[in-house]
Amino acid sequence: MTRHRTLLTSLFLASFSFIGLALPLTAHHASGPFYDSDKPIEIEGVVTRFVFRNPHAALFLDVTDESGATAEWQVELGAPVMLRRVGWTPDLLPVGMVVRVAGPSARAEGAKGLLGRKLTRADGSPVLEGGRTQDPTPTR
Amino acid sequence: MHANKTRNSLATHSHPRARVFVYKALLIAQLAIGLPLAAVSAQTDSAAVPDLTGIWDGGTRARPINGENMPWEPANFPVLNERALAYQQVWEEIIAPKYDCQPASSPAIQYDPYHMEVTQWPDRVLFRYEKDDQLRTIWLDGREPKATDFGVQGFSVGHYADGALEVVTTHFVFDVAGFDDYNGIPSSSQKVVRERYWRDGDDLWITLTVEDPMFLREPASYTTRWIPAREGYKLAAYDCDAESSRAMVRFFPSKYK
Repeated sequence: MTRHRTLLTSLFLASFSFIGLALPLTAHHASGPFYDSDKPIEIEGVVTRFVFRNPHAALFLDVTDESGATAEWQVELGAPVMLRRVGWTPDLLPVGMVVRVAGPSARAEGAKGLLGRKLTRADGSPVLEGGRTQDPTPTR
Repeated sequence: MHANKTRNSLATHSHPRARVFVYKALLIAQLAIGLPLAAVSAQTDSAAVPDLTGIWDGGTRARPINGENMPWEPANFPVLNERALAYQQVWEEIIAPKYDCQPASSPAIQYDPYHMEVTQWPDRVLFRYEKDDQLRTIWLDGREPKATDFGVQGFSVGHYADGALEVVTTHFVFDVAGFDDYNGIPSSSQKVVRERYWRDGDDLWITLTVEDPMFLREPASYTTRWIPAREGYKLAAYDCDAESSRAMVRFFPSKYK
């Protein structure tokens, strides 16, 4: 089942307390101009594309909302040059995999995007075997 | 020697005595084939040549992450002239050329939280930055830039003095984010960057000073360090991807249409 949740403040506070702090994006750019940390969002969707290229990996998901409409969302992740060091590979998130992502939402009006601060499988387990559920956007 | 520092395979950098021997051998070879002495003159005083060779970690293990207040904190924030302030007024994040994979340059690239590799040759020092796959060459042989030697990384000359490497870089191209893109400060073709590198124990330190009369009222400076990379670390190719670099630009609510 795919879900689309918005502004689940309490859940987000729990998420951020779990990861300690909202981490900065990558060395490439500041997150503030693109994402609003006061508007966190969590989505669950099906992977349609995972672009594992520098300066930022990007994850594209088909997300179905409460009305049954499906739309593509774009999730910005960290730099592959950093992610590789902690075990990430281009095959980590295959097409068809269901994942949950949480993070600040895109600032542009109507944009379907977010900065991935927390990424898990649908059941909440880490996407990386033996890994943590956080740090898809590790420190620069 | 430092156990957790990855060493270049060149024997010249594996041990100070070996380095002196190789420098002397190079000097003799250079004399034998009639090349000018200037090419190695900066290298012959072994006491003045610090061992900078290796792979260095500029990430969060070494120093605070870069951002609006780092490394340009209130105490060392550059004094901008009216031209720079005017540029800041029209600045928007997405105008930064990095969103089209243009590499970072001095003084930003030295503070980017990535690894870099330093290689010391008799006539040059090579700085290879993991971020953006950049290679800077610091010429030690006394050459001067030609009038047309402009580039993103400029033209660098240097020498060893008092156990440090001193570098002066000129001939930068204009860059709308060439001083610091977190604060929207440009740099001009008159930018001059002076760097001093030295060792303190296991660490590599730099003091960097920027002059740019087009945008700064006075020189601005910061000091920071790298620590040795973890054992076995090798730089990875960055291969900036244009689509990935620009992917989030559509999320920016521009004031310009």
